[in-house]
Amino acid sequence: MRLLEVKNLKKIYTTRFGGNQVQALANVSFSVEQGEYVAIMGESGSGKTTLLNILASLDKPTSGEVFLDGKNIVTIQDSEISAFRRDNLGFVFQDFNLLDTFSLQDNIFLPLVLAQKNYEEMNGRLKPLAKRLEIEDILPKFPYEVSGGQKQRAAVARALITQPKLVLADEPTGALDSKAAMNLLKIFSGINDLGQTILMVTHSVAAASHANRVLFIKDGEIFNQIYRGSMSNDDMYQKISYTLSVLASGGDDVE
Amino acid sequence: MTLNKLFYPKLAILNLKKNSNTYVPYILTCIGSIIAFYTMVSIHSNKGLEQMPGATNLKFILFLGIIVIGIFSVIFLFYTNSFLIKRRKKELGLYSILGLEKKHIARVLFYETAFVTVISLTLGLIGGILIGKLLFLLLLNIIHFKSPLAFQIDYYGLLITMGVFLAIFGLTLLTNFLQVKLTNPIDLLKGGQHGEKEPKSSWIVTLIGIISLGIGYGIALSVKTPLTALLLFFVAVVFVIIGTYALFISGSITLLKRLKKNKKFYYQSRNFISVSGMIYRMKQNAVGLANICILSTMVLVTLSTTVSLYIGQESMRRDFYPLDVSIVGEVSNTDFAEINQIVEAEKTQANVEIVDELSFDMAKFRAFREGNHFKKDMVEDESTDALYYQTVSDLVIIPLDDYNRLTGENKSLAANQTMVFSVGDNYGEQTIAFGDEQLLVTEELESIPMDFKKTQNVGHVYYLIVKDDAVMTAIYQAMKNDDDPETTLHALMFNINGTEDQANAFSANMRSAVTQSSPDIKIQNLYESLSELYGFFGGFLFLGVFLGSLFMMATVLIIYFKQISEGYEDSERFEIMQKVGMDKTEVKKTIGKQILMVFFLPLAGAMVHVAFAFPVITKMLAAFRLTNTTLIFLCTLVGVVVYALVYTAVYLLTAKSYYKMIK
Ligand SMILES: Nc1ncnc2c1ncn2[C@@H]1O[C@H](COP(=O)(O)OP(=O)(O)O)[C@@H](O)[C@H]1O
Ligand SMILES: [Mg+2]
Repeated sequence: MRLLEVKNLKKIYTTRFGGNQVQALANVSFSVEQGEYVAIMGESGSGKTTLLNILASLDKPTSGEVFLDGKNIVTIQDSEISAFRRDNLGFVFQDFNLLDTFSLQDNIFLPLVLAQKNYEEMNGRLKPLAKRLEIEDILPKFPYEVSGGQKQRAAVARALITQPKLVLADEPTGALDSKAAMNLLKIFSGINDLGQTILMVTHSVAAASHANRVLFIKDGEIFNQIYRGSMSNDDMYQKISYTLSVLASGGDDVE
Repeated sequence: MTLNKLFYPKLAILNLKKNSNTYVPYILTCIGSIIAFYTMVSIHSNKGLEQMPGATNLKFILFLGIIVIGIFSVIFLFYTNSFLIKRRKKELGLYSILGLEKKHIARVLFYETAFVTVISLTLGLIGGILIGKLLFLLLLNIIHFKSPLAFQIDYYGLLITMGVFLAIFGLTLLTNFLQVKLTNPIDLLKGGQHGEKEPKSSWIVTLIGIISLGIGYGIALSVKTPLTALLLFFVAVVFVIIGTYALFISGSITLLKRLKKNKKFYYQSRNFISVSGMIYRMKQNAVGLANICILSTMVLVTLSTTVSLYIGQESMRRDFYPLDVSIVGEVSNTDFAEINQIVEAEKTQANVEIVDELSFDMAKFRAFREGNHFKKDMVEDESTDALYYQTVSDLVIIPLDDYNRLTGENKSLAANQTMVFSVGDNYGEQTIAFGDEQLLVTEELESIPMDFKKTQNVGHVYYLIVKDDAVMTAIYQAMKNDDDPETTLHALMFNINGTEDQANAFSANMRSAVTQSSPDIKIQNLYESLSELYGFFGGFLFLGVFLGSLFMMATVLIIYFKQISEGYEDSERFEIMQKVGMDKTEVKKTIGKQILMVFFLPLAGAMVHVAFAFPVITKMLAAFRLTNTTLIFLCTLVGVVVYALVYTAVYLLTAKSYYKMIK
């Protein structure tokens, strides 16, 4: 089943006082199937975050369409957009975006509280999730009291607790040391195995090599993509590295 | 690293510019404090002021003002400076990481402080010279001092002010050096987020808060007499201040934590965010909020008491002077015919009218009351102030024929009978005894020509009407103290009709003429006391308004700084919340509710404080003979309303800049 469909997406930033225009996305089209684990790679400034923000309904495209489960999220009313985001999407950010005013547990509850779920239900959902992410013991702690890896796992729990159709992750391993990063990638693979659709932006080859499919973005356009097929993580790693080097040399004769 | 000599001053200026939204208000505060301090010093040392009646009292009040402003400046400038440097820790840490050594950072800080000092002192002293003159004219107006006084630039005052503030700035610089020295770059970098720990609430502190506040309020409510009010007021103030800090710091967190424990309540979207946000904020700002609360209370109490005193002077004066003028002399050595002539002559000359004239014999002495006995000495040996105050009484004895003549009544009394008039509560006994002599009270009079009932008297005064001169003299000779006059007295009392200037001229001329003819005579004159009272209460009012404005400025600044620092933090928080799925209007509502509660908590606290302070304030003012509770209440009420309006205006203005940051 097709979960996400992106058609001819274009984004032009206009600086505040008119003048300069920056084309962040030129013409992006792709789709994601239910249960897929897709990585998006590209150099810094290639438009990855812009793309993700549009998919997250945090930003509007200049033109083009985005369908999530058949619903066009570009045309959703402003008044419904928060609820839509809360119900359908989960986010994992590079800098965690946990609130220091809340304990980890309350940070994880936040989207459910906003959706006016009662405490018993929230707690019922949290228990298995916390166990799987190995954060049961640190739930009462505050973000500034735990390590980066622990913070990111709490952020993953916050993204998953709403049982979203799609998890969006922007450089989720960017602020983690390699061990914590590996741990997080294992968790992503694990939840993907359970059927969770994931779209992850990264410029780490190691991170991308865990995905089923890698999209390469350059100058605001999809440049190439690699399917895992039956490849192992190591094979994926090799292939991604090769593609990136071609990408960097500016060549356009990949496969 | 070789750096251009101008590098540090340039960097310092750049830093001040970059942080202008906090440094401009800070410099304005410095300027304000300097103006206030210099103005007080220069008015205090003004030579011309010494010529006015009651100058000693006024000077003492002004001196008190200098001390208060000095202490206030030290505390407040330290407070704001520490706020500023804390906010800049991250920036300083960045310099450190970019390769500036600590001593270089110190040099930058030095130049910054130097610039702030030069700007503040220059503008502050110029402002002080200009505004000081204006305020001086205001003071002269308040104290009804007519003859024009020159207000010169007080060079000595300029020097003192410079010295005091250079010392304050020097000390703030030292603490900033210490801050930089004691922390390493990583800490400096983290500075902004440092110590964001879940606040600990301690039951002990909460308990201390509740008990202190209870004691403070208890004292305020239980004070019975003006004298104890004066003594205990400051004790109560100290308890209330301790209680306020303790409760804001710990009590509020204890309460919020209880709310948090209640899962049904806590996990509802609006409570969830505001309760956790307030716990977080309480810890950061409990002291700031307590400061606002106490400053607000101080503004309200200072303003309402001084305004009440000033407005209430008229009625207070009447308590001391039932009639404008009273001339009292010993019967044996005073020629009242001559005095009457003098008064007549001066009256014509000054072109005033004399009305309500009373002329009568009397005896007057002081005694200590115990039940229906009046004694020459204190009743008990352990003479405490309170007991003295409760028992000491002034007795005035007047013969019946004078009373009948003045009132037009036709009463009669036997030698062992008397009629009593008390200016306070009724005398209440059947008999009245002086030593072995005992008189029967036939009647408690409701009014008497030479005095009137006072709603809340500070001392006890009893008028006794007795059969004749013989009875009066007998009692007087038995009861008089060693330094009382030998014989009984004659009194001449009257009111003056005319303009204030005419009355003043009459009073002065009459006094010199009368004392020339009878040197021992006692003259009490309302008009002569006026200028002294104006000096006293006007001085109070001036100081009250002055300090009130200063405290208000401090409150405004604390509020502004709070809004700014919270704005920065909250903008991040609410951005995250929006990403997680909270919509904009909800965010706005939540913020609104939260800052509203946090800001109006101190104001509400201040109002409660003032409400509890009201009884003790009325008692205290009674010591100054201000007994008009309605007046005091109205002044307080107007003060509270005006203050609440100003506070709200400040809040709205700063909330605007807060919302801008969130956006
Ligand atoms: N808010 C913005 N206003 C103007 N230009 C922007 C804005 N956000 C991103 N850009 C520009 O759009 C391009 C793509 O940025 P981004 O999506 O952040 O890239 P990436 O995440 O791949 O590094 C860059 O050239 C960037 O400078
Ligand atoms: Mg990016």
